[in-house]
Parts: sequence; C-alpha cells; structure tokens
Amino acid sequence: MAFTCTLTLNNEVAHITLAGELDAAVAPQFRAKIEEAAAAKVTRLVLFMSELEYMASAGLRSLAFAKQKMGANVDIYMVSVQETVAETITMTGFHNSVIMVESYDEA
Amino acid sequence: MHVLTVPADLDSLDDVGKYVVEAASQAGLDRKAAYRLRLAVDEIMTNIINYGHTEVGLTGDVTVRSAIEADKLTIILEDRARPFDPRERPEPEDLDRPLEERNIGGLGVYLALKGVDHFNYEYVDQMNRNIFVMYRPLQA
Repeated sequence: MAFTCTLTLNNEVAHITLAGELDAAVAPQFRAKIEEAAAAKVTRLVLFMSELEYMASAGLRSLAFAKQKMGANVDIYMVSVQETVAETITMTGFHNSVIMVESYDEA
Repeated sequence: MHVLTVPADLDSLDDVGKYVVEAASQAGLDRKAAYRLRLAVDEIMTNIINYGHTEVGLTGDVTVRSAIEADKLTIILEDRARPFDPRERPEPEDLDRPLEERNIGGLGVYLALKGVDHFNYEYVDQMNRNIFVMYRPLQA
C-alpha cells in the first residue's frame, strides 16, 4: 500500500498520521513533515500508526532526526503501533526513547 | 518463482518488497516471519542502492532470485557494486541509550541479520551475493 503522511498542528502539539509502507524511498516525506513540525516549535509529537503496515530503519532514523530537530525534551508518542512494526522498534531499543500507547486522548 | 531484475534505485524497493512478500506467501511463512524476511531484504537492498551505487556514482541492476525447498525459502540479491559483506559491519552497541545520545548508523544491517533464520554472503565472479534463508513451518 502506498505511503501517506499527514500533519496537523494543534497549538504546541503536532499530530502526524502515517499509513502504508514506510521504506527508504518515502522516508524523506516523513522527514519533511517532522521539519515542518519542528519549525512550529511544538512541545509534543504524536504519531498515529494504526494504518502503518511496514517500517524500515529509514523510519527509525527519521525519529532520531525528530529528537535532534525538536530537542530531547519533546515527547514522542506512538499510538496503536502494529505488532510487527513494534517488534522493530523494540529490537532497536527505540521503545526506550518514545512513549508507546494503545490510544491517545489529548488531556 | 521468476527472477526479478531492477535498477539499483530506491524506486525499486517497492517491487522487491512485493516479490519477497509473494515468495513468503508461496512458501507458507507466517505473517511475522514474512515481515522479518521482507525487512531484511529491504534493508540490504537499500544499502546496495545507497552505498554501492548512489554514493559512488555507479548505475547498475540488482537481481532477485528465490528458491523454495521442502524445508526453507531462500532469497538472493545479486549486484556488481564493490564487495561489501554486511556481516563485517559491527553490531550497534548503544541500543539501550536515549536516541539523542546514540550513533544511529548500522540499524538496517542489524535488523537484517537478526531477522532471518540464516544469512550468508559471498563474492563470486565480481558479484555480491546476499543470501537470506527462512525455514518453512512443518507441513501438517
């Protein structure tokens, strides 16, 4: 399935919805959205991932890029990550640096 | 299955992914095993494209072969870039550290080599051959 990536900004929170297959060919689209969110000086990044069926290490590098661009104190939430994608995140230790949740409600 | 030959270009990742998913399905791999195989081939293919070709200004093709035997599925990537054995790349050592303190290289090769049941590499006739093996579930 083709990759799609949409960004919405709500005050200081960026929401990015990812769907389809995220490989090295399309990772620059994800990075562009992260840069856009970083430019808006958000304090939190929420990634909605229930429709993301595949993620290669290029997607992980985009997350590391987000931490660099936004600062280490910006929390990154990952919402409804599919099991296979979650396995990659855990194997590479990225689960220690993001907050993985089943559902997300803006408090 | 047929042999697939594609240009060493990131736009080819999608076709290679579909090929691997199809081979995994024919071999009867379960969903998780199929995903790990697809990820492994995708990561090594990405390295072949980026480091073997784009970065050094080389154009060329990558050939994808597959073989289904009674006990295993084998996928082979063949390319004519300079020799590179992914097994020689050191494993990332800082996986437990916070992202902002980590050196982020080497994750693709790490995921590839950890994800398949067996990985092999050979350089024959000026050709890199990356070989991925997944064992098939026993047939009931």
